[in-house]
Amino acid sequence: MDALIAKADAIRPVKRRRIGRDDHPRKSNAPAKASSSHDQTLTSVSLHTSLPKSLRPSSPPPEDVPKYSHIHNKKLRTQLTRESAQTARAKALLKDAELLLTDEVGMMEVEGEMEKTWRIGQDEVAKAAGEEAARGRKEWTLDGGPYRSRYTRNGRHLAIVGKKGHVATFDWQTGTMHAELQLRETCRDITFLHDHSHFAVAQQKYAFIYDRDGVELHRLKAHIEPTRMEFLPFHWLLATVGNSGYLKYQDTSTGQLVVEHRTKLGACNTMAQNVHNAVIHLGHQNGTVTLWTPNLPHPAVRLLAHLGPVVSVSVDPSAGGRYMATAGQDGTVKVWDCRNWKGAVRQWTARGGGGDLEWSQKGALAVATGGSVNVYTKPSIQTPFAATVAPPLYLTHPIPHRPLTSVRFCPYQDILTIGHSAGLSSILVPGSGEPNFDSMEADPFENRTARREREVKSLLDKIQPDMITLDPEFVGSLAPPPKLSTAVEGAHDIPFARLPRHERLRVSGKADETEEGDARAASGGEEGAPQTKEEKEKRKMRGKNKSLKRYLRKQRKNVVDPRAVAVRAKLEKQREERRKAKAIASGAEADRKPSALDRFKRAS
Amino acid sequence: MVKISVLQHAPSRHLPARPGDPTPTSRNLDPLMHPFARSRERMRALNAAKMERMFAKPFIAALEGHVDAVETMTRKPETLNVVASGSWDGGLIVHDVSQRSQLLHVEQAHKGKITGICFADADRMLSCGVDRNVKLWDTRSQPDTAELEAGSSSGRKPLSVYSGKTAFNSIDHHRSEPLFATASSLVQIWDETKSAAISNLTFPTSTETISAVRFNLSESSVLASIGSDRTFTLYDIRTGKAERRIVMQMRSNSLAWSPTFPTSVLLASEDHNLYTFDIRSLNTPTQIYKAHVAAVMACDWSPTGTEFVSGGWDRTVRIWKEGVGTAPEVYHTKRMQRVTSTLYTADARFVLSGSDDGNVRVWKARASDKLGVITARERAAIEYRDTLKDKWKMDAQIGKVSRSRHIPKPVHKAAQLKRTMLEAQRVKEERRRKHTRAGESKPRAERKKVVIAEQS
Repeated sequence: MDALIAKADAIRPVKRRRIGRDDHPRKSNAPAKASSSHDQTLTSVSLHTSLPKSLRPSSPPPEDVPKYSHIHNKKLRTQLTRESAQTARAKALLKDAELLLTDEVGMMEVEGEMEKTWRIGQDEVAKAAGEEAARGRKEWTLDGGPYRSRYTRNGRHLAIVGKKGHVATFDWQTGTMHAELQLRETCRDITFLHDHSHFAVAQQKYAFIYDRDGVELHRLKAHIEPTRMEFLPFHWLLATVGNSGYLKYQDTSTGQLVVEHRTKLGACNTMAQNVHNAVIHLGHQNGTVTLWTPNLPHPAVRLLAHLGPVVSVSVDPSAGGRYMATAGQDGTVKVWDCRNWKGAVRQWTARGGGGDLEWSQKGALAVATGGSVNVYTKPSIQTPFAATVAPPLYLTHPIPHRPLTSVRFCPYQDILTIGHSAGLSSILVPGSGEPNFDSMEADPFENRTARREREVKSLLDKIQPDMITLDPEFVGSLAPPPKLSTAVEGAHDIPFARLPRHERLRVSGKADETEEGDARAASGGEEGAPQTKEEKEKRKMRGKNKSLKRYLRKQRKNVVDPRAVAVRAKLEKQREERRKAKAIASGAEADRKPSALDRFKRAS
Repeated sequence: MVKISVLQHAPSRHLPARPGDPTPTSRNLDPLMHPFARSRERMRALNAAKMERMFAKPFIAALEGHVDAVETMTRKPETLNVVASGSWDGGLIVHDVSQRSQLLHVEQAHKGKITGICFADADRMLSCGVDRNVKLWDTRSQPDTAELEAGSSSGRKPLSVYSGKTAFNSIDHHRSEPLFATASSLVQIWDETKSAAISNLTFPTSTETISAVRFNLSESSVLASIGSDRTFTLYDIRTGKAERRIVMQMRSNSLAWSPTFPTSVLLASEDHNLYTFDIRSLNTPTQIYKAHVAAVMACDWSPTGTEFVSGGWDRTVRIWKEGVGTAPEVYHTKRMQRVTSTLYTADARFVLSGSDDGNVRVWKARASDKLGVITARERAAIEYRDTLKDKWKMDAQIGKVSRSRHIPKPVHKAAQLKRTMLEAQRVKEERRRKHTRAGESKPRAERKKVVIAEQS
């Protein structure tokens, strides 16, 4: 039989063949090639199929691929090896992809020690800039109080709001006005929602949502007297904070009020989001900065940042949200490292009091102080420096219309827009914007079809609000090993169903683990020293409260029972009292008289 | 000397050159440009898994015509849509699956049940039954009967009739030569041109009833049979002998040779399991497939040899991957009764099941497949979704969505009961090993328990 099958040159099953290849890669390759040369099907197929270059055997295998020789399961080992090789290849290819980034970042350089970049004025910058870029230098003279502004995520559209109720949204590049409203009440903040087709305004009493043409769509009555708003684009959440000190998250895709947090820190005028983990940073009147996520009822981080009210908070998007800058009414500006909060990385006193501040995409920090805007650049503001001196100034621009209420960098442009009491002015800050945008994320040049498609796609990819955490990379990473060990006789991987009953109870947190120790302590007395035989005999079954202990012993079912717990607590208390009395009698412990100050003692 | 350059985007590079052109896109793969990349990918994978379950509507059609259980089905070689089925009422139907019509319907092809059918060549078909006859049919539509009545051509006469001494249980045709094999109390080889069997094959000392016989698809002179004595036997018609046989724990109900791996054979067993064997080492199965909760009645390989379909007494059809012994795809309907025959179509896209209620049901082989034209863009999206599902299958939520299946309550309860019983058995065995001498030797592997004896 075997001979007959062998003669027929039967194809062997795939599994066997793979094993052979793994064992002797060199040996089995040669006959395989020889046999494939006369395989007509293969030759005809191979003409019309081609592997990508990275997968061809001629391309060198990527280096530093981890070996999985410790894994016994061959299938799993092969799969892991293949996956890690694929990842290593993708990483190598990612380096090549950087060649495709064609646009160059802007810059401003001077020669010699004596020349300074901050001496260069806006006229000079605008003259040196190209015709397209120079259009970013603008002055909008408007009345209606100090203005605030906000760009869309692609930097194409600008929304402005004046304190007295003047609201406008427009495409600033083409100058197309979308909506202009005179709301005739106090407006405190404005933000675009997922794109320029909707925007929300924080008004006198409530927050309102308008569409692109300025038609009022929703009055968010839950958001009372809002002062600041942030929109989390990947979660579709509109977060507001108001004079009542409540932080509220509203889902703009379903319309639900997801959660409201009571900050307990009074009216709040300062809010910022970390774009990399969607954590909301609030600055409060008593100088604390708190970090909030929807799934925690208390702040994830609470930080005393300033000695007076916090005026402004901003998070650096260029370093993955690692640095936070705060400005306080006490006139200081501080840069914090969000990984450890042990003091500021750098702090300095801003002349004319701290004002609004913001980080740009490339890590330039603009601080509006007194009558001018100062811009600092990256390496110096993020390196630890003990002295409280300002880092080297990169650019400064005086604006005579105090107060300067908002500074906003335009994404993908070298433009900084400053809102002040006489309107808005935008200045050129070379090197502040990211030159290469990604059309899949935000495209300043996208057309209507692309915008619609992106809206639907991002709705489908909407992340649930309870996924917001300080570390966004926890998704898809390995779960930490469980704290409860289920080891029985040294074997760790016994499934739950096969564990002994007591182990199962222990894993599910229902086991009563106090009793053995309890019984031992009760019988063994206070000192754990071994007893003589006579002593044991003497003490046998003569303890106080025998009935309680008997009750406990009889109730023992290996399951936590509230009554048993109460009885045990009582026993413990009695034992403690006895111990104390004994210690006082022997003179080891002084008898403390109760004092009036005892009420302030912490209950232990 | 001051050097100043301000970032500006050239509109010529980012706007379409002419109206109607697609807008150029640009990419920047810096991870900082893609916040929440992992979370968003996970959401996409979750949506993909949910969409797959939403669109999982595998049932396509029920082909009616039989009055009693559909015992046997076969597909016509070199066609995608023609399938023949034979029933316990003696009816024989050739279906056009794509049109859902009957090409031929012989109402009383045999007296009693038809137990096996197979195609002899493109337009002739063999059937055997418990009336001790093998009949050869012409499946071409005949002009005289066609004008009488298109569907029911009950007056059709067989081309020839081969009569045997005992009831036949199964029939299979040789791949190239005009030979066929039948199974009764022994395996007989027939020549189409001769009215009596040309040779009898039987294992010496065997007294069993053979329930199925199949020729190997590539080594065409080798054939295998299963019998009521819980045996699986291999024969060779060149030597005219039974070469080897194994006796198993429980009897097998159905047998199928793999179309791509000539040495591997699939057995559907009475003990709720399916087994693949490599015939070069018959002492252990290469894989045990466990999910049915009653006897498996029928099985068939997909033409690619990577999947197979099985149908069971538990009223479910299951689709397995070769080498993956658990968690098959499960199909069921309210009205489908015990499944007695299953079949893969030749393009591996559809699965047919014949059941006790006399219907032949057509199912998709992949439950959420889209039928009809798929554009390149859609194909790319489907492939992307499949990759995402595979990448995130270890995620608890996604894995749960893509694994969970709705199962009829009786099947679910039976599975629960079976699990409990097996668990109790396992515990008992464990305790026995712990407290007796049995614990001194290693426990026997599950695979080693399947085959009781190997004889040659």
